[in-house]
Amino acid sequence: MGNLLEHVGIEKERVHFSWISSAEATKFVDVVKKITEKVRALGPNKKLKKQYN
Amino acid sequence: MKIIKIDKKEWEQGLDKSRKEYHLFGAVKDKDYYLIQALGDKVYPDMESSDTILSPKSVIFPQTEKMLTANLDEAQDNHHIMERVETDYSPRAVLGIKPYDAKAFKILQLNFDTEEFKDPYFCDAYAATTLVGLAVNNPGQFDFSTSVDTGPFDETDLDVLLIDTGNEYLAKVITDKGENFISKCGFDNQTDEKNALETISKLKKKAEKAIVSTVSHDKLNGKTILELYNAPFWDDIAFSCINCETCTYVCPTCWCFDIQDETKDKSCIRFRNWDTCMSRLFTEHASGHNPREGKTQRVRQRFMHKLKYFPDKYDQGLMCVGCGRCVKHCPVNIDIREICEQMNS
Amino acid sequence: MHTYTEKIQNLAKDVLKQGKAEMVIGFKQGTIPMAANPFVAKNENDADNLIWSSTCGLNLANYLPGIKKCEGKIGIIAKGCDSRNIVTHIVENKIDREKLYIIGLPCTGMVDKKQIALLFDDEITQFSEEGNTLIVKSETKEEKINKQEYLRSNCKTCTHRNPVIYDELVSDLVEEQIIEDQFADVKKIEAMSSEEKWDFFDKLTEDCIRCYACRNACPLCYCPTCFVDESGPQWVGKGQNTDDIKTFHYLRAYHCAGRCTDCGACEEACPMDIKVRNFTRKLNKDSLELFNWEAGLDISQRPPLDTYQPDDPDDFIM
Repeated sequence: MGNLLEHVGIEKERVHFSWISSAEATKFVDVVKKITEKVRALGPNKKLKKQYN
Repeated sequence: MKIIKIDKKEWEQGLDKSRKEYHLFGAVKDKDYYLIQALGDKVYPDMESSDTILSPKSVIFPQTEKMLTANLDEAQDNHHIMERVETDYSPRAVLGIKPYDAKAFKILQLNFDTEEFKDPYFCDAYAATTLVGLAVNNPGQFDFSTSVDTGPFDETDLDVLLIDTGNEYLAKVITDKGENFISKCGFDNQTDEKNALETISKLKKKAEKAIVSTVSHDKLNGKTILELYNAPFWDDIAFSCINCETCTYVCPTCWCFDIQDETKDKSCIRFRNWDTCMSRLFTEHASGHNPREGKTQRVRQRFMHKLKYFPDKYDQGLMCVGCGRCVKHCPVNIDIREICEQMNS
Repeated sequence: MHTYTEKIQNLAKDVLKQGKAEMVIGFKQGTIPMAANPFVAKNENDADNLIWSSTCGLNLANYLPGIKKCEGKIGIIAKGCDSRNIVTHIVENKIDREKLYIIGLPCTGMVDKKQIALLFDDEITQFSEEGNTLIVKSETKEEKINKQEYLRSNCKTCTHRNPVIYDELVSDLVEEQIIEDQFADVKKIEAMSSEEKWDFFDKLTEDCIRCYACRNACPLCYCPTCFVDESGPQWVGKGQNTDDIKTFHYLRAYHCAGRCTDCGACEEACPMDIKVRNFTRKLNKDSLELFNWEAGLDISQRPPLDTYQPDDPDDFIM
């Protein structure tokens, strides 16, 4: 999934996969923190954002 | 009738002059093939081009066309009221359109522009458009236009017909729209009508004679709809069809469309897209019932519409101008000429 | 005439005569140069119309799920890729092996019709082949060209020319090609930056008219209702919006992951000459590298995306 998105030009750092059990609250927080940091560094996404007008 | 002689060396200069008033459209080589495109500054139509993959119908009837918009913000007075979108209908000219492709607009008019109903989008675009045709001196092997009441020199729906005589074009000015375009280009070298018409007539005869592809449909009128509808050959014809939509999209006379609404936040837009009888969705009812469930029914519909229902309803010949695009581009080589012959036999 | 034509006709006649199958799916001569028309022979007379040529580039396995009325077996002419898609159909329970009579055809590649057309300024009026030489004529010139140089790009890198499953063969097996770098094209894109990749695919799909010929020519696409045709919910907008067009192409490709045999029917069918294999090729490369998997080689193997192995690659999970 991630590989093809990366292949067509979506930045790798924008798409993340993780496996978190409902009991792993701290892991969830960690992952979300990491992801937001990475995505923030990239700035807003402009790709595949449909313009309605 | 006025006939103007245009030196090919002055052609592009003339087009540039016309750009003050007209948006120009023409065949342009894109990648490895020709497409009809709006011509940007210093871009000129390729007058030597073979057929464009898609017909020029999109200039007047685009594949996706915005129709109405609405504001869904209830704080505003005009909320939820559909209003027509503003579209640029300033004059446009299609250059080098094949005469049979122009004739196709006459067929489209039977659907979009009648006494009773006028489709404003089509009518406004049509009114804004000047069709500058180029007679086909060397018809290709797919061209069967002379079999279907048009031909390489057909003037039916043209405003100007250009005839390539080597170093120059003879421009036959047919309508006031055509007159206006030619004068805006600054072409004014009027030539002796009698001589010119003779040259044109010779080239026309030569071109018509060069057409190798023919189709007979003389007996279709005498057959009943049910006789053709229940004919035994439809399953065999449809076997190879993959039910893609190529034939209907490349066709200059296919006029079906589908209306869609899209909403985002507080704004809504209504637009139409070309639709196609090849698609299962085309006839699917909300209940789930589909009167044309199988591909045989859909393939039969396409040919029955073009070759039987349309001629019966309008008495204006077939719904086909013989451009041969569907023959050339069908991935599995379903050939309307062969099917027409089968229906006619 | 291609040397296979007569053999196919004789085999098909024999199959129909002896009742080994009720029908034989093959190709008949097209009505225009370089065209072949998929065709079903139901009796010995029909079988005389079967042909073979280097223009039979569509994938006949595509027609199998559509055949509803057939009491006996269905006969089918299958080149390497067609046979792999037959295997995929069997693995995906679209059809029983028992229902098929497969006439395997060792393939020497299909020609790139669009590339050949580019050799001419005018229309091609005649096409014939003698062994490896293609003789192509227009009104103004004649070209004799080497077939190997004008193969479709998927045929150039094909390593499964021989059918992988068959009841009978049209000829002896052919030698398989040894390809040094099978995915050079994919690697070229992989080496680009995100922006370059985005622009590449923008340019690639810009002329798409959404005729869905790529989808419909593909044997893998047999869903009763395709996601693009769903209306509740509507997954993809229906207009000529570039993001909607790209969404269609991405999702179509995903649906082919681990299933695509790189038969090239999608590109063959595209009227706008869009090289849509650029999407599926990446997935084929990943399937091979991550799962050591090539689709449609063995009816006893489940595809990687519907099985789980403890050693499946998982380094993408953070």
